[in-house]
Amino acid sequence: MLREERRANLRDLVAYIAQELVDRPEEVRVTQVRGTQATIIRLRVAPADKGWVIGRKGRVANAIRSLLRAAAPSNRHIVLEIL
Amino acid sequence: MEKRLAKQSAEFTAKTLEEALKQASQELGLPTEALEYEVVRDTTRTILGLVRRGEVTVRVMWQPSPAEPASPPTGAALSALAMEEEEEAEEIPGLAQKAVTHNPPELEETATEVISTLLDKMGLYAAVEVVAPGGKVDSLSNEVSPLCLNIIGDDLGMLIGRRGETLRNFQFIVRLILSRRLGVWPNIVVDVEGYKAKRVQALQALARRMADQVRQTKQMVVLEPMPAHERRIVHLALRDDPDVYTESTGEGENRKVQIIPKSA
Repeated sequence: MLREERRANLRDLVAYIAQELVDRPEEVRVTQVRGTQATIIRLRVAPADKGWVIGRKGRVANAIRSLLRAAAPSNRHIVLEIL
Repeated sequence: MEKRLAKQSAEFTAKTLEEALKQASQELGLPTEALEYEVVRDTTRTILGLVRRGEVTVRVMWQPSPAEPASPPTGAALSALAMEEEEEAEEIPGLAQKAVTHNPPELEETATEVISTLLDKMGLYAAVEVVAPGGKVDSLSNEVSPLCLNIIGDDLGMLIGRRGETLRNFQFIVRLILSRRLGVWPNIVVDVEGYKAKRVQALQALARRMADQVRQTKQMVVLEPMPAHERRIVHLALRDDPDVYTESTGEGENRKVQIIPKSA
């Protein structure tokens, strides 16, 4: 059976989760910078929505980071910054 | 029908041989002494007699006992995990109370859609199956049985993560998204390749085996440290045992279950 090649799209993953959680999905912005060993993903949401993507004691942000680590190649370091 | 009990094996990697075996013992729900193993790879070395580097990989073999057949994940087994992350509901003020009254009718469809979208963006080729539709109200406790979903596909180990941690985070995100869409904290269990269901069965088997040992020796047994939801499974498994009772001791990461003879 022919299987299509699938690749993780970390930027889309972060954008999707953030848009589902916030009150103002139209203000969600995600940028991605690829370095040699690390990828930095910056997530911007409306100031009032920050709590949704960070969560109590950073529970939500850390869960998103965990999914990013799982989806990325094991030799690549992923940094998620919430601005 | 005769059940074939083929020997099963799995690999575990850790910084030391002891840690790898401990990990295996916890994952499999077998005591460390009962493990049959061979060292597959050992890259450990000591630098200047001070710094330890590298990892040990062991292949552990075990014989599935007839008492615990490798049955497919069942709704019943997964239900034991339903309240696993109870405290999560507090994340959204005001939703906690509403959560247990009902599961909305569109939950199954919405949950499947959200999970599929996440998997797709994570680059995973996988499908979602419904193990138990949930929504049944227990007449005694008034609790709603959880919707149990299982993700099936190839190479999903990374979605489970070390000790199931990635899976816990995945389920948390799924529930959070569903709670925002549906306005209630849904009672839902997300599993991957029956990992949680097998873990529950292994823990229940371990609990029964250790209870038997306590019965015979009249000596208390202390299990390895476990996270809260796993200790809960052990407590529940032995709740109605006539001869032993269970108690947790230790703090935080180190908290473990004791199985104690009632007569002593």
